[in-house]
This record gives sequence, structure tokens and C-alpha cells, in this order.
Amino acid sequence: MGSYLFKRLGASLLTALLASFLVFLLVRMVPGDVVAQMMGQAGGDAAEQSLRNFFGLDRPWYIQYFVWLGGVLQGDFGISWTRGLPVGPMVLSAFLVTLELGLLTLTLATLIGVPLGIIAGIYEGRPIDTAIQGFNILGLSAPVFWVGLMILVTVSGVFSWSPPLRFVPPTRSLSDNLSILILPILSLALLQVAAYSQFVRQNVVSAMHQQYVRTAIAKGLPTRIVFFKHILRNVMIPTVTFMGLILIQILGGVVIIESLFALPGLGRLLLSAIETRDYPVVQGALLLVVLVAMVINLIVDIAYQAIDPRVRVS
Amino acid sequence: MTILREALWRIGDTSRRAGLSIVSAAALGISVAGYAHAADLYGPVADSPKMGGTLNMGLLLEPPGLDPFHQAADARIRVTVLVYQGLFYEAADGEAVPLLAESYEVSEDGKTYTIKLRSGVKFHTGKEMTAEDVKYSYDYVRNAENGSPGAGDFSVIESIDVVDPLTVRFNLSEPNASLLMALGNKYAGVIPAGYFDDESAKTRMNNESVGTGPYKLVEFNPNSNILLEKNADYWEEGAPYLDEINFAILPNSASMLVALRNERIDLVSLARPQDVQQIEGIEGIEIERFPSLNQKSIDLGLELAPLDDVRVRQAIALAVDKDEIMEAAIGGYGKVIGTIVAGLQDRWGVPLDALPVQGVDIEKAKALLAEAGHADGFSLTLTTINGYDWMDPAAVTLKEQLAKIGVDLDIQKVDLGVWINNFRSRQMGFTFNDWATQPDPNLLYYRHFHKQPAGSDFRNWNNEEASELLDKGRSEADYEARRAIYNDFQMLLAESAPTIMMFSSDHLIVRNQAVKNYVQHPTGWYYGLARAYLDR
Repeated sequence: MGSYLFKRLGASLLTALLASFLVFLLVRMVPGDVVAQMMGQAGGDAAEQSLRNFFGLDRPWYIQYFVWLGGVLQGDFGISWTRGLPVGPMVLSAFLVTLELGLLTLTLATLIGVPLGIIAGIYEGRPIDTAIQGFNILGLSAPVFWVGLMILVTVSGVFSWSPPLRFVPPTRSLSDNLSILILPILSLALLQVAAYSQFVRQNVVSAMHQQYVRTAIAKGLPTRIVFFKHILRNVMIPTVTFMGLILIQILGGVVIIESLFALPGLGRLLLSAIETRDYPVVQGALLLVVLVAMVINLIVDIAYQAIDPRVRVS
Repeated sequence: MTILREALWRIGDTSRRAGLSIVSAAALGISVAGYAHAADLYGPVADSPKMGGTLNMGLLLEPPGLDPFHQAADARIRVTVLVYQGLFYEAADGEAVPLLAESYEVSEDGKTYTIKLRSGVKFHTGKEMTAEDVKYSYDYVRNAENGSPGAGDFSVIESIDVVDPLTVRFNLSEPNASLLMALGNKYAGVIPAGYFDDESAKTRMNNESVGTGPYKLVEFNPNSNILLEKNADYWEEGAPYLDEINFAILPNSASMLVALRNERIDLVSLARPQDVQQIEGIEGIEIERFPSLNQKSIDLGLELAPLDDVRVRQAIALAVDKDEIMEAAIGGYGKVIGTIVAGLQDRWGVPLDALPVQGVDIEKAKALLAEAGHADGFSLTLTTINGYDWMDPAAVTLKEQLAKIGVDLDIQKVDLGVWINNFRSRQMGFTFNDWATQPDPNLLYYRHFHKQPAGSDFRNWNNEEASELLDKGRSEADYEARRAIYNDFQMLLAESAPTIMMFSSDHLIVRNQAVKNYVQHPTGWYYGLARAYLDR
């Protein structure tokens, strides 16, 4: 287990390095740079040159990469070119907002989606299954921005309530924090609940058709035991993988929801940084996204082994 | 619609005339003390304003940073004009009104401006402002090595002298009538001398407030909000009225409209006319329109054949129905223009019906094309920019219009970055453009239309006669004489058609009815917040 972990970590770090290089290259290939954006239709060669020099953009791109990488390895992610703040703390605080949003959405979606999926699976073909599947199709096909908008408009129209405008971290006031997050969580959760319950249902159905389950039922084991020992255990393995995937999907895809509800999260930070060609922020944020995806995958793999002895590696 | 009124930002006629006489008096080297408009700086003074309170203003576009020296973004300027001030204020009607200056004197050759400073002005740091600070600030911005996009606006300044603690002298290399306007506060904020000596100053400016404006910056939380508070030491007695302004950054109009409805947002300048339709008729919400200095235009790059033929350009100009394009692009929320932005039409523009090559005339356009050897028409690629809402419907409408004279339009959408690259390499071809000016014809025209190297001339117009007129216009101080020069220039511009200015879109201001006395400045900057108050 120890050496496995060690190998996995090593591979992850290499991947991160490669990813950072690709990220760097891709961002530089987008036309226009921060200086061009700052100058707009004004300009003047000397002023422009001096800004390029200030940002280090007059050096070859590979030098810029190594300078940046050198800083990152020492924990210095540079300074945001447009905001003038250090990138590390900026990206981290945005990430915490997104992470909170992601984890709460995941929790809510799991709490609702998994039971729904189990119920649908157990009652396969009955009206309740049809109803749940109908909901799932709706949830899976509605675009998240539309759902968000509808929730926002409905809640504000019916209850004359809209979320506060200024983001408050949970450490300052949990209730304020949650009242800002509640609508975005609901919007994001709808899709995930549908995806979850569809996935879990599929697994429950296929488990119920397995020979060993039939055998267990045939030999007269109580339903409760059959369910918990034979079905649930087999459903849990893919579900844990799925949770990881969902979390990565939420973290990567919240940009629309963050913009809609004015949350200072990572997606929005990344979007505005790309728009202004604020390379240090783009690089820092993307690197973080890559690292987080890796960590989640790692956790999933470890959890896997804990649940299923068959995949345990020596 | 609750109230949709053509809101007119007009300073009384009397004070306008007073302003004009000052310009000409100054040109003769007579010192002028005091100013008729002083009371109307930043907007009309309220009769009996209610003091205090926090106003929540919505921002659809977040400023990338708040540094008035290194950020050109309009989203930055809108907010920073409340924090930083220059020597002059660009009054809405196109006059430069003394702000941190008190009076000024121009030498007879028009090359020396001696400016007396207002006394008792304090920076937000508590330090008193002196001529040293003024010299430092303008020396900083005009030095190209400091990387300010505004450096070009001040290139005519040769040196700045401190005469005494409250007097500075600007020595110019040649007369420049728009100097005073350039000393307005887009790039011309006065800050304490030596501020940039510290390497970290450039970055600190996003979080700290070192200007002299009516509001101080308290906090800037990217992707969340910008909080300003009243400057209790503000030099002007009785202003401003509000205690705090909280700019809430909501990047999409749907949540902005919901927030307006629920009274979380008191005031917002909307970007898209179609959003207005969604809140029309809601009780307690008022919608107002103000003229702007913005323009939507078609640029015809002369590097691209057959646009190098003036007859072809004229033919295209005659095929363009500006009203129809404006209707498609922004509904009725704007004004069709000729050769100058709507906000400057009264003071500087040639009347639309006096301009050549205007109005739709398909027959004449076809004849011109035939004469130029394109009787069967030709095809042309129109570049539009991603993210500019108005451009898509406008492009489709233009395609239909040009088809009538046999010009087949291909529409190509590019990212702003690509567009700016084209702009820099002066390979613009046939493109939509969207830009705004400060309220002075020199600042509007020179940069875009003077031949290289003095102007950026990205349309490759390279017109001798036009460049001469622009040189004359910027050095002439007398308003009537200047107006005549710029009118000649506009006739030339219309005749030669390197650009087709289509329309100016109005500023659309939506406010809760508790917000009183807010007037939108035509630049789009939020000067008016210094005069707004809340009554609830």
C-alpha cells in the first residue's frame, strides 16, 4: 500500500508538471496579451514596451516558463498583472468558495440522489420508478444556467427574496454564507441528483439480476440482509468513483453558476483572468484545478480499496 | 415604461456662455479667477439633499484594477473618477472646467499654461496637495517609461515647473487646445509626490486610496464588490451626500434585474437595451436615457482592395441605412450620427443634412461602383468581435443592405485579442468598431485619423489634408475658429469615408426611485454619484 501510494504520488507530480507546461503554452497561444488589453485603442510604443518589460513579456516564452516554474516550486505563484495581488492567496480563497459550493452540492445530491436511485432500482418498472426516471430526464436535460435562472426568478418573484450581494465566508457568518450559497447549490444539485439516481438505479437493477442475489433470495435470506450485504455493497463501489467524477465536474463547471449568483469562486476568477490575459492567475488557477482533480482521483482510488478487497494491490 | 424620458444633461445657458468667454479670455492671456460652473462640478447641486446612507450600485463589468495610471479599461475609469481627480473636469457639454485647478492663464503664443491650484485640497492620506504633487503626477504619467496608456495624451508637454506651492506651469512644445481636457481625470489623477518610488505602489493602488476625490476606496474584493466611503475632508463644502457606495459586481444582467426588483441594487447602468424591456412598468423603478460619447462604426481599411477606391467607400456609405441597423442592434435606444458622437453634436458637429455622402441612395451607390469597375459587385469580409452584443444583429442587417448594391458580405467573428492584433498591425480590413471619446474633438479625431506616425491611423487613410486640419484644430484656442476647422475636417471625413459612424447608443440608467439627483455623464463614468442622494 505504501509503495503504491508513493508511485501514485510520483506519477501525479509528473502529470502536474506536464499539465503546467501545457497550460502555459496554451494560454500564450491565445491572441492578444495583457499589455494590448491595457492599451486598448490608445497606445504608444514606448509605454507599451515598458509595460511588456515590467511583466517580463519581452523575454522568450521558455524563459518566462522557467521563471514561473521556479517561483511555483518555492511557493510563489507570482503577482496578478491586473489586480496586483499575489496569485497564491487569491486563487486559494477563490478555490475555497468553489470547494464549499462543490462539497455542499455533492452532499445534497448524494443524500437525495442515492436513495432515489435505490428506490427506483428496487421498484424497477413500477410507477415510482417511472416517476423518478421522468424527473431524472428533466434534470439531466435542463441546462444549468437555465435552472439557475429559473430558481432565481421564481424565488425572487414568489418570495421577494434574493441572495445577499456580498459574499461572506462561513468563518465570519455561517447563516449569511449559507443564504448566499443556497440557490446556487440547489441549481447545481438538480442536475447531479438526476445523474446520481440514474447511475445508482442502473447499478441496483443490475445487481438485483445477479445470480448470487437470486440465490440469496431463493435460500430465504431476509430482504434486509440481501439488500445491505449483497446489493448495496456492490452498488457502493462504482458510486464512490462516480462521486469523485461528480465533484471534479462540479469544480470544473461552476463558472456559469458563479457568474449568475456573483460568487467569487475559482471558475469566475479563471474566466475573468482569461479575458484580461492575466497569465499568472490563469496559470495558478489551472494548476490548482489539475492538482485538485488528481487528489480527488487518488482519494477515490484509496476509498476503492477500502471498500472492495478485490482491487487491493500489494 | 414608468418614465422613459430623454434626460437632458444641460447646464443652464447662461453658465454655458460664461464658460465660452473664459476660453477666449484665457487665450488672450488674461487671468481668470473663479468659475461659473464650480457649483455644478460632477453634476447638478441638489436643492435639499438628504445626507448619508449606503447606495448599492450594480456593476456588470468588473474593473481589472483600480490604478488610474496603468489601467485603460473603461470599467476602471467609471469608478476611479470618484477617487482620483485631475486639474480639470470634463463638463458634459465639452468644456474643461477647473477642478483641482482654480484658475489658469495661457501665454500669447499658446505654449505656456500657468495654473493656480485650489488651496486646502487634501489627499486621502491626510497630506495637503501642493504644486510638487501636481508636477510629480503629470511627469510620471507622461514619461513613457512608466508604461501609462495615457502617456500619449500628454506628449505635447515639454516640461512642468513649480512656480510656488500653489502654482504650476506647463510648457508645451506646440499649442494644444485640448490640454485642459487631457488634464481631466481619466489618466490625470493627482497623487502624492514620490508615490511610485516604492516598487509595490503599482499593486497597492488596487487597495488603497491616495487621491483627492469625494470618495475614498475602502475595499476591493475581486469578483465581489468595491466599497467606497465619503471623504470627510473633501475640499468642496457640503459634498458628497452619501456615506458609502457599494459597487456590487454582478456579471450578468439576469441577476442584476432580480436584484433591482428586490431593492438590493439601487442603481445600475445597463449594457443591453433588451434588458430594459424586462423591467419596464415595475413600480418603484425608473428608467432614464442619457446621451453618450460612444459610437458604433464601420471602419474601411484602405489597405484592402477595393476599399482603397474612394468611390467604393462612398458606394458602401450610401448603401448603409443607419436607422435600420440601429433598430436591429439596440432598438431605439440611441441616436444616429454623421461624423461625430451624439454627445458632441451640438457643440462641434456639422448638421447631419449638411454632410456629403449621407443617407441611403442605392442608385447612386450602384453608379459609383460601376464607375469604379465593380458593376457586378464583389465580396467582402466583415469582422465582428465576440462579446459585443450589438454586432451580430447589425452584421446581418448590413449584409442585407450591401447585397442591394451587389456587395456580398462574409461575416467573420473574432476574439477581442485577435481584433486588437489586427488593429496593431493596421490590417483591419472591413470591420465593426465600438469606441468612445472624451468630450473634445481633438481627443476624438487625432489619434484615429491623423496620419502616421503622429496618429495611429489604423485605417491607413493617410490623408494629408485631414492631418493638416487636425494639426490646426489642436493648436487653435478660440472656440469659433476651432469649430470651423473641425467642421471642415468632418466634411472631408464624410466625403472620403474611411469610416462610417453609424450611431451612439444611449446610456441606460435604471434606478430605484429612492435615488435622487443622479445624472449620467456622457462619458459613461459615474461622476454623478458625487451628487446623488437617497431618499427613503
